[in-house]
Amino acid sequence: MTGPLASRMPGSETGVRSVRAYLRSRGRAPVSLADRYVTVFGLAVLVAVAGQPVSTLIGGLAGAAEPARMGAGVALVALAMAGFLAAARAAGPVLLPAPDATWLLLSPLDRRQLLGRTARTLITVAVVAGLVLGLGALAVLGAPDQLVWRLLAALALGVSAAVGGMALAVLGQASQSWQVWLTVAIAALVVLAVVAMSGQLRSTLAIAAGAPLSAVAAAVAGGAVLCGLLAARAWAALGRIPARTLVSASTRAGHVADATVTLDPGALTWIAEDNHWRARKLGSRRWPSLPAPLALAWQDWLRLARRPRRLATMTATAALPAVLAQAGVTRVALWAAVLAGALAVACTGVSGARRDNDNPVMARLIGVGRRPALAARAVLPTVLSGVWTTLALAGIALIAGGFPGTEAVGGGSWSGAWWLLGPLMAPALAAGALRMARRSPVDHSMPVLDTPGGAIPTGPLIWAATGPDLAVLGCLPALSAPLVPVNGLGALLAAQGVVSVLVLAGYVLRDGTRKAG
Amino acid sequence: MHEPIIEVTGLSVELGANPVLQDMRLTVAPGEIVAVVGPNGCGKSTLLRCLAGLQPATSGEVRVFGEPPADDARFWARVALLGDEPAWYPGLTAREHLELMGAVHATPRMAVDTALDVFALVERADAVPLNLSTGQRQRLCLAATLLRPSTLLLLDEPERGLDSAFRSRLAGLLDGYAAEGGTVVMATHDEDLASHARQVSPSGVTA
Repeated sequence: MTGPLASRMPGSETGVRSVRAYLRSRGRAPVSLADRYVTVFGLAVLVAVAGQPVSTLIGGLAGAAEPARMGAGVALVALAMAGFLAAARAAGPVLLPAPDATWLLLSPLDRRQLLGRTARTLITVAVVAGLVLGLGALAVLGAPDQLVWRLLAALALGVSAAVGGMALAVLGQASQSWQVWLTVAIAALVVLAVVAMSGQLRSTLAIAAGAPLSAVAAAVAGGAVLCGLLAARAWAALGRIPARTLVSASTRAGHVADATVTLDPGALTWIAEDNHWRARKLGSRRWPSLPAPLALAWQDWLRLARRPRRLATMTATAALPAVLAQAGVTRVALWAAVLAGALAVACTGVSGARRDNDNPVMARLIGVGRRPALAARAVLPTVLSGVWTTLALAGIALIAGGFPGTEAVGGGSWSGAWWLLGPLMAPALAAGALRMARRSPVDHSMPVLDTPGGAIPTGPLIWAATGPDLAVLGCLPALSAPLVPVNGLGALLAAQGVVSVLVLAGYVLRDGTRKAG
Repeated sequence: MHEPIIEVTGLSVELGANPVLQDMRLTVAPGEIVAVVGPNGCGKSTLLRCLAGLQPATSGEVRVFGEPPADDARFWARVALLGDEPAWYPGLTAREHLELMGAVHATPRMAVDTALDVFALVERADAVPLNLSTGQRQRLCLAATLLRPSTLLLLDEPERGLDSAFRSRLAGLLDGYAAEGGTVVMATHDEDLASHARQVSPSGVTA
């Protein structure tokens, strides 16, 4: 580093600013006036397009909510908040782009200023999440009067909760004692969800829904003060986050190049995964004597057995579709939730395939054929997604009394047999999960579609659709189940079984010949 | 006279219009240890990648076991490559990585306990590889590579991160591998390790 930059390098704000300016000047072309115009115009079009449906949605919130659905709704909002906190904790939440972590973090630059950009991103994420949470809470509790004021109060409370939660997660990253409070907060939200679902809170919720505006205003003020205090402490703690928690995984595990070159979300999950195992004390177990491909796939089973909490959480989430059904979501949304959940669960059992696809060095050393390896690795995701889907569908039948809207077309009379679709959908879900695990990183060289609503990069879109597309294709018979007449159950189950197995077999046969990497 | 295991004729490789290998010739007989030596950037790793079938040649021919190297299970059952550090499987200990290697190959060259002992990893057997030091991870890589059965060993700077005592032991281990009939081709900067082998320079000058 030479000249004017070196002379301005002391650990001050100017130091960080001058480094950023230097990097900008050497990087891509500066943002022009035309770029800013396109951004503003895109946002304006977005507001114009989304304004009408959003205002209709908000208008629909006026009036008291249905008490029977309130419990399930509050449970969903609480679980969403718990999920937000857990995601923040899993992500860091304070992360630096890999080049910054390598080149700027381990330098005399002021750490808080260096992390300022990350902090702004975290606040933006928290505000957006808070607005969604607030809107969700209002949709659940209803607005018997003064819709505008209640809407503003709900949004303010949501933003306070999310920003406060994010601040708590940042504090947790800086010190162990705050980490405990974060865990307590997540546990409390889960308990709240369970209690709300059980119907114990019905009277409390009714009082909250009908609370006078003065009480609501007091709650908003209290929430804002608490959020402000937490945010201030988090900002102060930002400079104290140890460099090792920020950089250890990315530099030691060699993910820096991955994350820099490909902007690959997968690299971030590896950082979290590797951090988890670094902190664990393990005892080696003898490898079972199995045929070579199954012996290779045993690694995924062992890894899962070593994370019993994750297994328990996965089992518990099988109740979520039933809660959604109880809260009165539409049939399409419910099916989407079941599919997404089952696919996510299947994805927890394919880490070996992901590892070998990202870095085939070990696979070459092991020397098992790609096709047998892929077939053996499909067993675990099939079992996981099969059990989860079966539990989820049985839960919907038990708690919510079947899929909404199916009674009219004859589905209601056999709603008890829905769970049979679970094991039959599993192979297709496993194929989807394996395809997700083995997809290439995001291809940023794909064309960008210019639409009136803004530019749409097709690379990330195609990346996101790779995997779910196969799962949806293989589950088409199950997705059409509500339209099938009552005497068509046997044919439907047979069709689902055949399509599912064909999709998995086709995937293994075709993709098993593709080179990894 | 045995059929040569590796035959390279007129091999040229250009990376980004930059000639890395030019008209390279190499013949390796079974049981031989060949050290590819030379300064940084002279094409040692590129040659190894060509032999492993991971780098297409710009011109010339590479034959391993009498045919062009193919990136498939049959090829990797006979060839063990140690290049960059592998991505370790999440949630497995050092011992379990070796156990996996032993479970997948029907006739491993040594027992897992022996490998842990030979590569001085007994005390760290229950650690996940990412918690090992650089040198220990390299020893684990070498243990996995030498535990599995193979006919041809391709090693890219196997001395990376190793202390001097273990480097001399490594030379003995490679001698033992060659005495069993195995063939070794390694790129190395370690003069002691190279002195155990026939030295070849990618520029064509044979020492």
